[in-house]
Amino acid sequence: MTIMPTKVFESDTVQTMTLDGVPVTFAQGETILEVAERHGKEIPTLCHDSRLDPMGACRTCLVEISGWRRLSPSCATKAEAGMEVETESDRIDRHRKGLLALYAADHPAEVAVTNGRPNELVAMIARYAAPTDWGHLESQRDDRPGDVNPYVGFDAEACIACARCVRYCDEVEAVSAISLANRGSYTTIATVDSLGLLDTTCEMCGGCIDVCPTGAMHEKMPLAALAKPEPDLEKVRTTCNYCGVGCQMDLNVDRDLNDGRGKVVKVTSPPPGTTTNDGNLCVKGRFAYEFLDSHERIMTPLVRSADGQLVDASWEEALRRAADGLRGVAERHGPDALGFISSSRCTVEENYLVQKMARAVFRTNNVHQCAAT
Amino acid sequence: MTNSIGEIRHADCLFVIGSNTSEAHPIIAMEMKRAVKRGATLIVADPRSVWMTTIADRHLKLNPGTDVWLLNAMANVIVTEELYDATFVAEHTEGFEAVAAAVQSYTPEEAEEVCGVPAEDIRWAARTYATTRYAGIYYTLGITEHSHGTDNVYGLANLVLMTGHLGRRSSGMNPLRGQNNVQGANDAGASPVFYPGYQRVADPEARAKYEKAWGCELSPDEGMNLNVMMKQAGKSLKGMFIMGEDIVLSEPNVTMLEEGLNAMEFLVIQEIFLNETARFADVIFPAAAFAEKDGTFTNSERRVQLVRKAVEPPGQARADWEILVDLANACGADWRFDSAAEVYDEFVRDAPKFSGISHQRLDRDGGLQWPCPTEDHPGTMFLHEGRVLRGRGRLTPIAYRPSLELADETYPLVLSTGRTLYHYNAATQTRREPGLAVKQPEAWIEIHPRDARRRGISAGDWVAVSTRRGRVEVRAMLSRQVRKGCIWMPFHFAEARANLLTNDAGDPVTQTAEFKVCAAQVEKLRAHDGAELFPGSFYREDGPSTA
Ligand code: SF4
Ligand code: SF4
Ligand code: FES
Repeated sequence: MTIMPTKVFESDTVQTMTLDGVPVTFAQGETILEVAERHGKEIPTLCHDSRLDPMGACRTCLVEISGWRRLSPSCATKAEAGMEVETESDRIDRHRKGLLALYAADHPAEVAVTNGRPNELVAMIARYAAPTDWGHLESQRDDRPGDVNPYVGFDAEACIACARCVRYCDEVEAVSAISLANRGSYTTIATVDSLGLLDTTCEMCGGCIDVCPTGAMHEKMPLAALAKPEPDLEKVRTTCNYCGVGCQMDLNVDRDLNDGRGKVVKVTSPPPGTTTNDGNLCVKGRFAYEFLDSHERIMTPLVRSADGQLVDASWEEALRRAADGLRGVAERHGPDALGFISSSRCTVEENYLVQKMARAVFRTNNVHQCAAT
Repeated sequence: MTNSIGEIRHADCLFVIGSNTSEAHPIIAMEMKRAVKRGATLIVADPRSVWMTTIADRHLKLNPGTDVWLLNAMANVIVTEELYDATFVAEHTEGFEAVAAAVQSYTPEEAEEVCGVPAEDIRWAARTYATTRYAGIYYTLGITEHSHGTDNVYGLANLVLMTGHLGRRSSGMNPLRGQNNVQGANDAGASPVFYPGYQRVADPEARAKYEKAWGCELSPDEGMNLNVMMKQAGKSLKGMFIMGEDIVLSEPNVTMLEEGLNAMEFLVIQEIFLNETARFADVIFPAAAFAEKDGTFTNSERRVQLVRKAVEPPGQARADWEILVDLANACGADWRFDSAAEVYDEFVRDAPKFSGISHQRLDRDGGLQWPCPTEDHPGTMFLHEGRVLRGRGRLTPIAYRPSLELADETYPLVLSTGRTLYHYNAATQTRREPGLAVKQPEAWIEIHPRDARRRGISAGDWVAVSTRRGRVEVRAMLSRQVRKGCIWMPFHFAEARANLLTNDAGDPVTQTAEFKVCAAQVEKLRAHDGAELFPGSFYREDGPSTA
């Protein structure tokens, strides 16, 4: 399933350019990166995100345009009719290696953070065989040690100042809780007065974590649960159980926790552009899953004893009590003395079965879901 | 919704009414923010200065319960200034003349008196909405939870139909569902008047079809809806089965409901946590949570999507569908379902609008929007394409009726209730979440600084809120985000149950209770202990900050 591409509505004029020697079509307004991705080219990116305005900061996505003196960031350059673009060349490779080597010096793999988040930078350095022996540039980047918020962690050491998090918070979530601070290699992500996120306009959507390419922004909860790193977790695609938007999300399960029952240790969103929620989640979808493991969950069937207490019962006994009780009411007062309330929180299948039970087993149409709006 | 979520970002005008979108539907709000960034005009009509008003082109801050006046006045402008789509009206609708006549007396100037919204703003909103091609209406419970909720919906439909904003992308009329599967529960026939797939109980043909399918006789009488059941609890209703809902926390006028539940002979509930309703139960089945079972949820845009089991349920808890099968069989039925997929197959067999959907297909293709009648049907992105579904769209004249309970001397304030970003309904899940509990640990009431000062209330003080039905104690938040004379309270908190206060008298058609308007009084109890109520909230005494 795909959602509607933005550009389709903005223009229907189709134009032509050349990509690695092959003529391709594009819609007015598309960037070179978008055209290239649509045609199956792989261009490395770090600061790009389809939901954000291009910033052209990391320069890993450079391409060569014939007649242009300098290499151009494909994420921030609009395609033009007649353009001749090369996505791979010696010149691009040389530039990219140098650039990644600089990143590697500032963020050596040995000190890469181990909070379980995948690190696209480390993977990219390996993939393009960039030199990693340029020494270690020891930059002083501030983080927020006093931030006690339970969800969003920040390891300044891994931050490459791509500002995806800041731009997401600004452009998508639109609350501007975080911003870039300081300069050069000291650049870091800060809040007003270094407040903890709970004391800012932050709405705890976790989008900053989701967009961060290096894991500098990360979830705190899996660390607390001593979970395996993200690549070792099993991802189960499901539908959020809160509001009516129906966001698709991936429950990240550590199979070994909870005595082998499995434990949801983090929730991630499917990539942008693939589901209705376009890679976004809200605070409830992304973080409100701890209730699953609450010790207050009802663990056994319960029945009311003669002295009015709720006591544990076997499934057999509870089912028999329930069946006798409901049937007794129907026998004494007729089927319409029974009412069935189902839930908009439960599945379609379960709602189907509740109404079938009311209608086919007990012969009453007294059935309704709670929250009929 | 007549449209899809992905279309919102391409809209050129968004008319959001009675919806605190950024808190109740954050992801939809993101799409709206994106449309606004693209240059779309955003009009928000709401008694409170909700977050969306900070990016809106205009905020129509109407008095609670005066929506009909506002909508009629907008229709008045569209009719008088001839901004309606005459061709669409002639070809696809009926009843336009009646509405045009009925709205004659609803002038923007008089609307200004009643709604408290400047006449010029009403004219501007009507013109902008009517003359923008891709203009959509978005609404939620703020529209329906009124004694005149049905009228409000007709009022919106009138605007949509007279302007022809229907049957194309990014337009239409879009109720945003409050809960994950409201749509799906309706689709599945959890309704006193509909079998699955919206086939009427009162229709003998539909009944005959289901009698054959289920191999038994069925009752020809329509059943009681939820609100009637709540009133009949303990009276004509002697036994109840409740799955996955805390009716004591979420239904209005809870004092009466509790008496009813006490008088009931037998109550079975199926739940993941012991809730307020559990106090009255004779049998409680431990259910699996969403991450522990298979099934489908259908979202606001009619998209059916899979719910997949990720972990095993704790203890002896089991999936609701498995419990239901066992319970039916314990009651003498002979149901055989080995998986949720088989239940879905049975559901769609006799519900033609869904016949093309199956778990196998969802697993392969992702979500599917119904109507989807056959296996090769791609699903339906927006309803009413090129025409109105049921022949002609009907415009319905509506007349303003004041809310059932108006402010008076004893109860001079107007109380509304609603939801917040950090909690969800009865909060059985969200309050067990440390971060959410930190962000909003306790219930509160929002009151305008002027009304607070009159009562000697400062920010954070403990106050008593009372109505004709009950009283709760909460802390006060002073904020210009509510109108003078109005107060607002979230309904998620068991120790300060807003629904002890609300009015269960409801809409004459749907019986939906009037959660949004009732008369109340606030008194100061004791001074606060110094703690700021919500650090970091955008709500400030001087109104929302527009960072
Ligand atoms: S925290 Fe991550 S997303 Fe934000 S600037 Fe640093 S590297 Fe980029
Ligand atoms: S969690 Fe969301 S609101 Fe908070 S800083 Fe990150 S992006 Fe911004
Ligand atoms: S991805 Fe293009 S400059 Fe960063």
